[in-house]
Amino acid sequence: MIIFATSDKGGTGRSVTSSNLVYRQALQGKDACYLDFDFGSPTAGAIFDLSDVQAGSDGDGLHSYLAGAIPEPRRINVWAETQRESLRNRPAGVGRLTLVPSDRGRGEFPSTPGIVQRCVELLVRADEEYDVVLVDLSAGRSYATEIVLEATARPELADVEARWVVFHRWTRQHIVAAGSLVHGARGILDIGTAHGHKRAELAEKVRFVRTAVLDPAASDQAALRPEQLVWLDVCNMRLKDLAVTNKVGQVKLLGIIPLDPVLQWQEQLLTNDDVWLHRTANERTVNAFEDLAKKIVDVDAWEGL
Amino acid sequence: MQIKPRQQLLDIWRATARVSYRDGWVPGGLGGSNSISDAEQLLCIMAPATEIPLFRLDQPDTVTDDVLEALRPLGDNLQIPQRLLRALYDYLHRYTAADKITPIFSGGTYFSPEQGGDKVEQEQLDMDVVDSFSISVTLTLAIIGFTKVFRQVVTRAALLRQVEEVEQMANRRLTAAMAGLLRSFTVNVFTADSPFGQELVRTVNQERRATHVVVDELRLALREINARLRDDVTIGSGASEGSELDNPNRLFECGWSWGVVRDAPKIETSAEVGEQRDGVAQNAPYLYFTTVALDAIQALSSERTRLLGLLDPEQARLAQSLQLRFELTRSYWTTIATFGSGRWPLEDLPWRATDGIEFDYFSLLISGMVMQSMLAVRATNANLRRVADVLEELANRSRITRRSTEPETAVGVHFPGLHFPLEGSDALGGPGLQWTVADISPTLFKRTLNLASMTTDGPTRSRMLELSDSIWQHLSIRVIRHGDDHGLWDWAAGAYAYLPNGGSQVSWYYTKRVVDCLVNAANVINEPPLRSELLLQIAADLLNEADHLYDRELLSGIAIRGEALRVDLERVGAELKRARAVYRERPGVAVAVAEEVLRKLDRLAAARRADIG
Repeated sequence: MIIFATSDKGGTGRSVTSSNLVYRQALQGKDACYLDFDFGSPTAGAIFDLSDVQAGSDGDGLHSYLAGAIPEPRRINVWAETQRESLRNRPAGVGRLTLVPSDRGRGEFPSTPGIVQRCVELLVRADEEYDVVLVDLSAGRSYATEIVLEATARPELADVEARWVVFHRWTRQHIVAAGSLVHGARGILDIGTAHGHKRAELAEKVRFVRTAVLDPAASDQAALRPEQLVWLDVCNMRLKDLAVTNKVGQVKLLGIIPLDPVLQWQEQLLTNDDVWLHRTANERTVNAFEDLAKKIVDVDAWEGL
Repeated sequence: MQIKPRQQLLDIWRATARVSYRDGWVPGGLGGSNSISDAEQLLCIMAPATEIPLFRLDQPDTVTDDVLEALRPLGDNLQIPQRLLRALYDYLHRYTAADKITPIFSGGTYFSPEQGGDKVEQEQLDMDVVDSFSISVTLTLAIIGFTKVFRQVVTRAALLRQVEEVEQMANRRLTAAMAGLLRSFTVNVFTADSPFGQELVRTVNQERRATHVVVDELRLALREINARLRDDVTIGSGASEGSELDNPNRLFECGWSWGVVRDAPKIETSAEVGEQRDGVAQNAPYLYFTTVALDAIQALSSERTRLLGLLDPEQARLAQSLQLRFELTRSYWTTIATFGSGRWPLEDLPWRATDGIEFDYFSLLISGMVMQSMLAVRATNANLRRVADVLEELANRSRITRRSTEPETAVGVHFPGLHFPLEGSDALGGPGLQWTVADISPTLFKRTLNLASMTTDGPTRSRMLELSDSIWQHLSIRVIRHGDDHGLWDWAAGAYAYLPNGGSQVSWYYTKRVVDCLVNAANVINEPPLRSELLLQIAADLLNEADHLYDRELLSGIAIRGEALRVDLERVGAELKRARAVYRERPGVAVAVAEEVLRKLDRLAAARRADIG
């Protein structure tokens, strides 16, 4: 299964959530692969704590591969190469965890038939080798998005399960932007349709994940005053209505990632040590990743109405 | 109010989902599976979902988290409506005859033989009963409302087909139920000196006057109802008796029999309702079934039904005919129950029906009809108070607000319930059947709350709210505590310790009525609070004084001199503004705010005096 992760705007926590998802998939015993298609600002290296690709690889990454400069992009075995102690103790029974980084200091580029062809080959190969392939696209409408939409419309990828997950924050601006990114002019559906996807079918493959959501009902919000809680409740209701009008309501919701203090300060993988040993991360956050990781590959969860 | 509808409804949903859903919807319960009990079970979920916006399930986008949590056994926000739809489909399918068209309204296991031990024939169990017509109206209206909204979010073709099929079946069942109600309406005409006539005259003649005077006055009071029954009731049962009404010395009663009346003509309709079976029921009204039918017809003409456009043109035509019978019946019983200038017949407990059966429970049913009329004619608070007295008395006499420590007959109304014979039920062979009702507590609760929301008289309202609290307390100790069905009703031994401690199986009959109570309570709580004229006056005066003192404080210029003082006074200004904004709607709040403002201002005034000594 290939999952395309995108977001309406920057700063939604798309990359950090995606990385954690892939990590959770691997922990659940699946072979998981992370393709960094965020050509403008590759950050996955930092999240996985890989010292030599902190801000992208050097000439042997995805950017170079798609441009046709090298026959194969570099693959990094995260379990072996990460600097983080708690990740290196790879537990028994877990799956492979591979990062395919992008190149540092490059930018976006428009699609050409050659690029699309190489992208198709890359995805077909990755899908054969891994249980879950997560493609981290950049925020908003991007060339990367267009390239993969074009690639997935090709017959070689017709039988591959492809899913789209749009990450957005739970605020007015983000709700509107997320709806527009999918349904708006030159949005995912528009561009997908232009490249030969069937609009209704593609729409069924798109789901939303809300990130950094402040849950007024959670016990760790005890510091909020009653008035603030009441107001939050009203806001929440309004946002729900707004989400429905922008077609990002609960029907298309795949998961909610709560606001977490650790992720607020530092983009990183949340390990069980962070919750139980250091007690810096919230258990709720990890549970949310865990649930989302299960749901995202569960065919029933994608069954719409 | 002690009653917390949202939390308690969620508890009931949690228990209902747990008990009813095990890899599929499981009908059953104490009364066994039949067309009424199964509908009652579904309505435990569907009624709040239909009546209270917070509990809606037809828009998966806006379902609240606590609702989702309560219905977890049914799945997530997408699975819940689909699985409910499946359960509704199964119900509609189960109660459709083999011809795949005719809906079935059989009483089934709710019928019992008058003489215990007699074997009831299958044909008897299959007889249609008004209770089933009525609950089908409620259920199908809920279903149609649900599908109409839910289909808007559905895109999958297979699911859409299922939604459409359910809606179509529900529509057919609704039309058939309305036709059934039209064929169970009855006008029982008798002479004043027949046994029926004597009972009726005894009931209305509270001042013990000469019989012929009372008969004449009663005929006069019923003249308009009489005329409309004769001229306007033209289809279904009850139409042929109209001509008899003009004969002198005739009295009558109207309402609903227990099933389709013997020799009731078929309803001519363009809609597909399947076979209209011949009726066997006695041509005389039963108070219980009359009340049940009135409730259903009220739902047909409710604001929701009209706003959502739930009825098709043919159904609207039938509904209009039913509405006429509704109004005539309601007026008839109100006229009888409040006849005369002295004590009302209603106040003479217990109510004695024309067939000589008397129960306190009947008084409660009659009060319900009287209240519905009072709502329509905007009755005075004095008259509402008289009904309130009756309700309080009923709660005492049925040992809801009075303790019952010894076995006594008054408790029979709760357990095992009242039985009354269904005349004509032996026409198809087999023994005579009887019907059992045990819902006096929830019905009384509903009426009490209704009255509380109708009256504008503060003391009566508080009395009724107190009474409803006591009845709720009674209901809440009757919840099943042990076994699989805990959290649902009914366990009468909880309230009356000497009753047999068996029965830990859920009665959907009872649980559905408790759900109705809670829905009612939620609606009452949603209304704005009763405004007290006295508080309004006090609030206005307090605000005037506070405003004046505040203005003087500003005029003194002190606000310019100290930062702390300025902030303080600005806050006082904001609070006064708030009090002004709310005082018409919530004078009590305005009083509280104004008092605080006055105290703050007085501290400044007192401080000034300190210097002078």
